[in-house]
Amino acid sequence: MPAYFNFAIKRLWQFVLVVFIGINIAYVITHVTPIDPVEQSISAVTSFGNTSPEAIADMRRSLQELYGLKGDWIEQYISFWRRILQADFGPSLSAFPAPVTSLIARALPWTFGLLAFTTLVSWSVGNLLGALAGYYRNNRSLKFFGVLAMALHPVPYYIVALSLMIVFGFIWPVLPITGGSAMDVQQGWNWQFVASVFHHSVLPALSLIMIGIGSWFLGMRSLVSNIITEDYVVYAEIGGVAQSRMMGSYIIRNALAPQVTGLAMSLGGIFNGAVITEKIFGYPGLGSLLVDGVYAGDYGLVLGVTSIAIIGVSLSVLVIDLIYPLIDPRVQVAS
Amino acid sequence: MKRIIFDLLKYNNEFRIGVFLILIVVTMAGLSFFSPYPPNDVFVVPPDAPPSADYWLGTTSRGQDVFWQLSIAIRNTLAFGLLVALLSRVISIVVGLSSGYLGGWVDRVLMAINDTFIVIPLFPILILFYFVLRDSMSTILLALIMSSLGWAYDSRLIRSVAMSLKTREFTGTSVFSGMTIFEILRREHLPYVLPIIFSTTLNNMNWSIGLEVTLAVLGFMDINTPTIGGMIYWANQHTAIVAGIWWWVTFPVITVVATFVGLYLIAVSINEYIDPRSRLSRMGGGQS
Amino acid sequence: MTTQPILRVDHLKAHFRSSYFGVYREVPAVDDISFDVAPNEIFGLAGESSSGKTTLMKTIAGLIAPPLELIGGKAQFSFMPPETNLYGADPAQLARIRWSKLSYIMQGSMNVLNPLRQIRSIFRDFAAVHIGGSNSDFETKTVNHLSRLRLDPSVLDAYPHELSGGMRQRVTIALATICRPDFIIADEPTTALDVIVQKEVLGMIRSIQREMGSSVLFVTHDMGVHAALTDKLGIMYAGCLVEAGRTADIFNAPQHPYTRHLIHSLPRIGDTVQRTGLTGTPPNLANPPSGCRFHPRCPLASDICRTERPMMRQIATEHRVACHAVAGDDA
Repeated sequence: MPAYFNFAIKRLWQFVLVVFIGINIAYVITHVTPIDPVEQSISAVTSFGNTSPEAIADMRRSLQELYGLKGDWIEQYISFWRRILQADFGPSLSAFPAPVTSLIARALPWTFGLLAFTTLVSWSVGNLLGALAGYYRNNRSLKFFGVLAMALHPVPYYIVALSLMIVFGFIWPVLPITGGSAMDVQQGWNWQFVASVFHHSVLPALSLIMIGIGSWFLGMRSLVSNIITEDYVVYAEIGGVAQSRMMGSYIIRNALAPQVTGLAMSLGGIFNGAVITEKIFGYPGLGSLLVDGVYAGDYGLVLGVTSIAIIGVSLSVLVIDLIYPLIDPRVQVAS
Repeated sequence: MKRIIFDLLKYNNEFRIGVFLILIVVTMAGLSFFSPYPPNDVFVVPPDAPPSADYWLGTTSRGQDVFWQLSIAIRNTLAFGLLVALLSRVISIVVGLSSGYLGGWVDRVLMAINDTFIVIPLFPILILFYFVLRDSMSTILLALIMSSLGWAYDSRLIRSVAMSLKTREFTGTSVFSGMTIFEILRREHLPYVLPIIFSTTLNNMNWSIGLEVTLAVLGFMDINTPTIGGMIYWANQHTAIVAGIWWWVTFPVITVVATFVGLYLIAVSINEYIDPRSRLSRMGGGQS
Repeated sequence: MTTQPILRVDHLKAHFRSSYFGVYREVPAVDDISFDVAPNEIFGLAGESSSGKTTLMKTIAGLIAPPLELIGGKAQFSFMPPETNLYGADPAQLARIRWSKLSYIMQGSMNVLNPLRQIRSIFRDFAAVHIGGSNSDFETKTVNHLSRLRLDPSVLDAYPHELSGGMRQRVTIALATICRPDFIIADEPTTALDVIVQKEVLGMIRSIQREMGSSVLFVTHDMGVHAALTDKLGIMYAGCLVEAGRTADIFNAPQHPYTRHLIHSLPRIGDTVQRTGLTGTPPNLANPPSGCRFHPRCPLASDICRTERPMMRQIATEHRVACHAVAGDDA
């Protein structure tokens, strides 16, 4: 147990390091710009209409702190981090004066729900089908599914989402293609709302799942076809171990470890896919927020969503890393 | 190497299909040099014309011939993917081989950096770049940025090959028999390392082209360099789907999907050819 | 009165056939082999590497998967219905006899135990269905079995990687014998072990065999092990059985030139005669020599040896040889 504790501490440090580096990268990027981001953002906002001079001064101040333009570069850096650590990304320019944090808080559950659900489904179903395909190599339907997976796997999220939108939005319009829920339904924990959310998430979830399942299926299938040549699987077959036990404890269990690692490594890519899918279907998650923020020149919002994305993905990877030694007893957690 | 390609062509379905698709795409790209219209000109032909004998794939709402525009777009997109793949190869190979061969603290430091880059979601970072650079972001600059961010996944693969080669017995034998390090790397190890470099290059191309298309569709692109993503972006701006100008969207999508699937199939069949165990399972059995 | 043999191998033929990227290869790894194993008998199989011993074992045990194909002949166990091979038998029946009637100790038992499962669970996976009873009953039986084999019951709590190689081998033997099978196939069970552990493992096998009265088909290239353990011995060369008989007879009066060479090359205490090796190397089975496979290296080779393959001929009680020279065939 103490070995695990040391391991957990080490991984926690790594998490902090990754988040630190990631947000620093974001900071550095904004500082290579030749343009003055503060004036640009302010002119973008004030062009919308009347904002009081106090509000503009307030905005300028917080933007300068956020951009880190006040004082010399050390002061800039410190004030930037001070704000970040307080989760204060300043007011949103596109939804002025709502603070960025509140916009993110509103969008986060949508993205989290969509991602958690689709990742879980594609990972488990894809792995299960892949394991079956790797073991029962002559099954026709599994072979067919494999061809399908191979055709879908390299296609980027955007194209799948676009195709689904065309098919279900225009050719056979049975599913809603924009929004998180119907406009006329009241938000809250009532049955109508939940059903509407469900209805609206079918297409975005479907596009994420269609691609995700293919990747896990192919990976698992090749893992399993290697595993069935391992001595302990051959021995279990000689020994007449029951088929279900063999599938579960000898094959899938042993193939799971690399797939869990693979899950951790692909979380960044999954988030990327979610961003574009949300934008296409107008799903009110972090993805749409990010893109709309860029269009509107809302620096605080873009920085905020980027930071949350970095933190979120790193956190998920951390959780998976911490779970891993519990799955594989061979892993020596003592360094 | 040539024999391998011929063998694959003769016997491997996936390889054949992949090569076929890529040949079509590359031919289209090659044809772009014969295009009668300069790439960035608009309204050179009557707009919104469906596919016909005059305009093979129809024309766009901006008055461009879809076929010729597509050929230029796919050429730029392919060149972009190739550029990112080659540049990031340099970083992946250096990091992967150093990590794998040298081991020790070099490995630990490099992998710590590497894993950071794997975990950080690149899409928001790229969007951030566009946000600050806006109109001064050219396609070449994007290629440079992407290649300096997207090497991490592949370097891990190369590193594991290097690690396994280092501990193989034939390496120890070669060292003891007096071969220089350079000779060992060139004659003994290169045949193992080259295939993985090749397949990661193809996968990297898929990744970078996919990312470029996604960024361009959102409008984060270089207006002066027409790419596939750019074509789709303009089509969306003119609400082509709703207006019924389906050929403006469909043909770029088909072409880019052909590229993705083609590259992927080639990479997969080469990987399978290299791994003797997958050859065995192709024959129908795994137990030797 | 001869009792019915527990295993009858009759003209068994199994070839590796592969067709990949335009190259067709056929390797006759098991080429027309016949022998019997009686109940309560340890039958040894000797031969160099790549003589086909392991492939023969796999074929007998019914583990035939592409590119290995059964071309002809039979390998029949007395506990199976007459005229049925293990290969292609009814799966329900196979499930019943696997492990309870026929068990297998694999070569290189380092990795035959699932690395992610405790030893206790592995025992349950293999044997619980045959032994039956409640969980605690099974646990008791397993612990008893382990103690009989002088293994500490604490080994049940371990994972395979926590045990040493020799320990894993002993656990595997315990696993293979817990259902008291009638027949055990042991494929090089002591090859990767040091001599001390080897001695213990051999002792374990012998005492189990005596106690259970099972038959063992013991494959190893180590002639010393055969001399110490086996009742009957078969010599394999290049996929064929060249000599078979009582172990004592084979050691005292080897007939086939290959066997003679094998026996005479064994060092004896006090003997100072220099040993000479056979010229040449074992043949490439993808392209075997014509006629008798041994003829390129045989000091007694004659014309008939180059053209016609010798069949097994009985030359004494329970002693068969496949050799033209020994059988007195003339060119």
